[in-house]
Amino acid sequence: MLNYNSPINDSKNYSEIEISELEPTTKINLRGKSRDFITKIGKELSIIPPVDPNTSSGNDSLNILWLSPDEWLVYSNNRVDPKKIDDLEDKLYNSISKVKIGSVTNVTDHWVIINLKGTKAYELLSAGCPFNFNKFKNLKGAVTQTLINHTDVIIHNKNNNDLNIFVRRSFSNHLWLWMNDSARLI
Amino acid sequence: MNKNLRITNNKFIDQTSRISFKFDGKTLFGFKGDTLASALLANDIHLVGRSFKYHRPRGIMACGSEEPNAIVQVGNDPSMTEPNTRATEIELYEGLEASSQNCWPSVNFDIGAVNNFFSPLIPAAFYYKTFMWPANFWKLYEHFIRKSAGLGKSPTQPDKDIYDHRYMHCDVLVVGGGISGIMAAKTAAKNNLNTVLIDDKNTLGGTTLFQQNECFKINNSYSNDWLKKEIESLNSLKNLTIKTRTSLAAYHSYNYLLARENLTDHLDLNEKKDKIRQRLWKIRANKVIIATGAIERPLIFNNNDRPGIILSSSIKKYIDYYGVKCGQKISLFTNNDSAYETAISLNNSGVIVNSVIDIRDKTNSLIVKEAEKIGIKIHWKSTVVNTNGYKKINSVEIMKLSDDGTAVIGKKIKEECDCLGISGGWTPRVHLFTQSGGKLKFRDEDNVFLPDKSELYQISIGSCNGDFEIDEVIKNSLNSINKFLNVDNDDYKNLEIISSKEINKKNIWLLPSDKPMGKTKSFLDFQNDSTANDIKLALREGFKSIEHVKRYTTTGMATDQGKLSNMHALGIIAETAGVKMGELGTTTFRPPYTPLTFGAIVGRNVGEFFDITRKTPIHDWHVENKAEFENVGQWKRAWYYPKKNENMHDAVQRESKAARDSAGILDASTLGKIDIQGSDASEFLNRVYTNAWSKLEIGKCRYGLMLNEDGMVYDDGVTTRLGENHYLMTTTTGGAANVLSKLEDYLQTEWPELDVFLTSVTDQYATVSICGPNSRKILSKIIPDLNLSDEEFPHMSYKNGLIDNIKCRVMRISFTGEHSYEINIQSSYGESVWEKCFEAGKEFNITPYGTETMHLLRAEKGFIIAGQDTDGTMTPVDLQMNWIISKKKFDFIGKRSLYRSDTIREDRKQLVGLLTDDPKEVLEEGAQIVAETNKKPVEMLGHVTSSYYSPNLKKSIALAVVKNGKKLKGQKMFVPMKDKTINVTITDTVFLDKENKRLNA
Repeated sequence: MLNYNSPINDSKNYSEIEISELEPTTKINLRGKSRDFITKIGKELSIIPPVDPNTSSGNDSLNILWLSPDEWLVYSNNRVDPKKIDDLEDKLYNSISKVKIGSVTNVTDHWVIINLKGTKAYELLSAGCPFNFNKFKNLKGAVTQTLINHTDVIIHNKNNNDLNIFVRRSFSNHLWLWMNDSARLI
Repeated sequence: MNKNLRITNNKFIDQTSRISFKFDGKTLFGFKGDTLASALLANDIHLVGRSFKYHRPRGIMACGSEEPNAIVQVGNDPSMTEPNTRATEIELYEGLEASSQNCWPSVNFDIGAVNNFFSPLIPAAFYYKTFMWPANFWKLYEHFIRKSAGLGKSPTQPDKDIYDHRYMHCDVLVVGGGISGIMAAKTAAKNNLNTVLIDDKNTLGGTTLFQQNECFKINNSYSNDWLKKEIESLNSLKNLTIKTRTSLAAYHSYNYLLARENLTDHLDLNEKKDKIRQRLWKIRANKVIIATGAIERPLIFNNNDRPGIILSSSIKKYIDYYGVKCGQKISLFTNNDSAYETAISLNNSGVIVNSVIDIRDKTNSLIVKEAEKIGIKIHWKSTVVNTNGYKKINSVEIMKLSDDGTAVIGKKIKEECDCLGISGGWTPRVHLFTQSGGKLKFRDEDNVFLPDKSELYQISIGSCNGDFEIDEVIKNSLNSINKFLNVDNDDYKNLEIISSKEINKKNIWLLPSDKPMGKTKSFLDFQNDSTANDIKLALREGFKSIEHVKRYTTTGMATDQGKLSNMHALGIIAETAGVKMGELGTTTFRPPYTPLTFGAIVGRNVGEFFDITRKTPIHDWHVENKAEFENVGQWKRAWYYPKKNENMHDAVQRESKAARDSAGILDASTLGKIDIQGSDASEFLNRVYTNAWSKLEIGKCRYGLMLNEDGMVYDDGVTTRLGENHYLMTTTTGGAANVLSKLEDYLQTEWPELDVFLTSVTDQYATVSICGPNSRKILSKIIPDLNLSDEEFPHMSYKNGLIDNIKCRVMRISFTGEHSYEINIQSSYGESVWEKCFEAGKEFNITPYGTETMHLLRAEKGFIIAGQDTDGTMTPVDLQMNWIISKKKFDFIGKRSLYRSDTIREDRKQLVGLLTDDPKEVLEEGAQIVAETNKKPVEMLGHVTSSYYSPNLKKSIALAVVKNGKKLKGQKMFVPMKDKTINVTITDTVFLDKENKRLNA
């Protein structure tokens, strides 16, 4: 049997900060420009992809994050069973890529989600992230693509002081260590 | 404390908490709230250092960041010691150890002081002029000069302290917590603006905090009492963040500012442990209000640098704030009203004020009258012509000034004193304003440079904007703040203010002496030891620009950036050269405002956080199996896997033999991977690669070379056609991000008509490469139901597979020249698949190999590495890869450049193979290749790009670029090394299996 290994597989608690890896979760990158593309996604996922920059839409099971005028990231709200065959990718691939209205790419393991919670979450981010969170922190569902300690990340504002940070898998271990180091000093 | 220099009715220093500290090895005592400087003065220690060039005794001169003399070394631990810190800014803590700098053996007896006697022989630019010849002697001179001109000792071990960085975004940043800064912060925060107020001191209030004088009252209260209430009212403001002990270091474009916060520097030694010492704030502010105040100017006269000569306002702060008398018989020397405030404060605290020496003819301002009323003696229209006392001032010599102020007249009066306060007027702190790119204007009336135009959202208020009197400060600041923030705060509109007005002004940049100019020592830049005579010499020698004079005399180039002295240097230049000061301009004030520690600059990016590291999903296995790692970009890649006692050479020989003889396994997960989808995907590849892609069948792979617009090789890799409109491109490890950006850029700007979408999947897949004659057998054990026959699954093709029900893609491609497969599977299963392959390969002695063996194996086959065998100047033709350039395609990136006269030249440097005559001799990569060794100058024909000892061929092999190399096959060449010349022969680039039998086996 093949073993499933997520890169961090850990969670930590500090004063007013909780950091944990939120894996395995399904992630699919969508790209397209046409109206058909948007309609198709809406139909397949029952969620309309947001068109306003740096926003998201979602339901109980899935979120769609706006990444660029022709790019979105779909991810599952909750952990999934890695061994269970998920037909979401195939479904989207067949209805979008196959019919030439856009692209569908599985990025489940490309990104790793680190969940950051707590009243000092933004203080931790301010130690390494140049983004201005003053408005962001009050906008549930807001999305930003920025850097944390020189590493590219996507940040999704889930709820009050509850953030999902997407980092590329190869960087995730380093970012994890850095976040823990910073949390300990807050 | 042998003399009692403390007053007891002080409100700011806690005289119940005694603190012991050491200075120059001697244990002394001070109180909580003291700075090192105030504690030293309370212990009657003025002499704290020796000057830079002449080693003259120097004492504490100021009370803040402008201090030029009291520069000390803090701590004596080799990892924690810090040089060049200002005693006036060090808050006293239990266990503090500090020592004087630039003196040996001690500050009291300094051998270097002989320089002072030779000073007539050491004029400005002495070192530049003297140590020019002979040029190669500089190494010798340098050793001695460096030793004698040191500014403290650097720590010799890594810093144990913790530093960090923080980003901050605010609507309004107020720099400076004096009276105007407090007004600004309060106004902004009350109007719902997210406001930050910073001040470098440990308390807010600036100098008004201890201004208790009948001549300065607001609403019938002393100005300090009024301000205290204002400060208290800040506590209730929710939008306001106050940061004390925070010094603004730099003000950059677009209101981006850096500030250093001292978090634990003031704590006792045992309280500092495991806490962040300093934090660097990176601030983005919509609006910036600068309220940094002004610096008191010294006066420039003969021997104005003796210990005990202190800025008059600093004497006031020491008595009124720290409760420390700088002396017991103090004389004051001034050209303005400020010194009278000091005189009154001293008198109120029971210190004898000998007299005030004022260069002005007479003035009747409120404060002067007040001073006269309490019996302070004033020498009008007089100047100090000399001071006496070697290690501390003991008397001043006073003479009357002539009417035009250029000479002294009459009888010389000698006045005994143990301290001399000097006040030459005020210089607005415009440093931050100019750092931000703001332009200054000159106000002739009191010789100050003031903020003028700025492109940024910022204002300067208070005395840094040239308002020196409290009523003006309040009135003008309020107007500016309201206008700037577009609010209407009337809190300060109807205040009743009493403020002494300065009526008469007079300024003489260089005060005359009874001695001839050449015999005087009137210091301008106290830290760098430059005098008025040095400036004049520079002008005589033809330097006219202030920037040149600055560099020639080093005036203003010390760690204090000439905060005290620059104005006088400008004044003297203007006077001597007969130009207006406003036209002369100023030197450039550069960040940081006060020196930053390296720790604060670096923050937490030390040790394991020095640089980002990327790891493959199989990383842990490599670590467990004792791999040595190589940095490839930010990736940590397994380099080789040494077994017991093996060095790299041994390990690589073993690994590469195993890969050719039986089976090898490599972690290739770092290769860049780009998922390409869209109806124009084939056309897109046609445009980015040199070869043709339209006819590539689904399920097949093809190698491609990507060029830059200039026709030079940029990147390479294998691309697989996964479907009709779907490809997977691989790039080099290091080139992945750049290639993706470049392709995305082309799609967005040059070819928007193409229906193509790119998505990076580098991290999505782990890539396990198994190669060698037994690789097929191993793969068949892992995916038994996959038909691996050559007919069904030939070289350069791909199949989908399932391992334990997990989807994977298997490419039959090879970078080693062996029969080889790459399994791409979701990263989370990468390590498990690797282990499975390893297990399945055990019977075939499957051997993990690292990047070094990979490089050797591909070199045997003559495969290039973009970036190692190419350097941005190689075309595909230069690489002897003409076959990869499609002649039929309409266009591809770089095509046009391949037909330029220079790129079609026959004698360009071309990639060739090299064999050494002695098969055991391994060439050095980078070694030069020549055709003749006797003829000089020797023409360098090329260099070695890759070189290895091949255990499979049992000889040394190398790739090289050689001028006209294609035509030189079989020719003998030479590689001259330091101790020998190596004979080589130019060969084909492929050393092993030219017929590709192994690949297709």
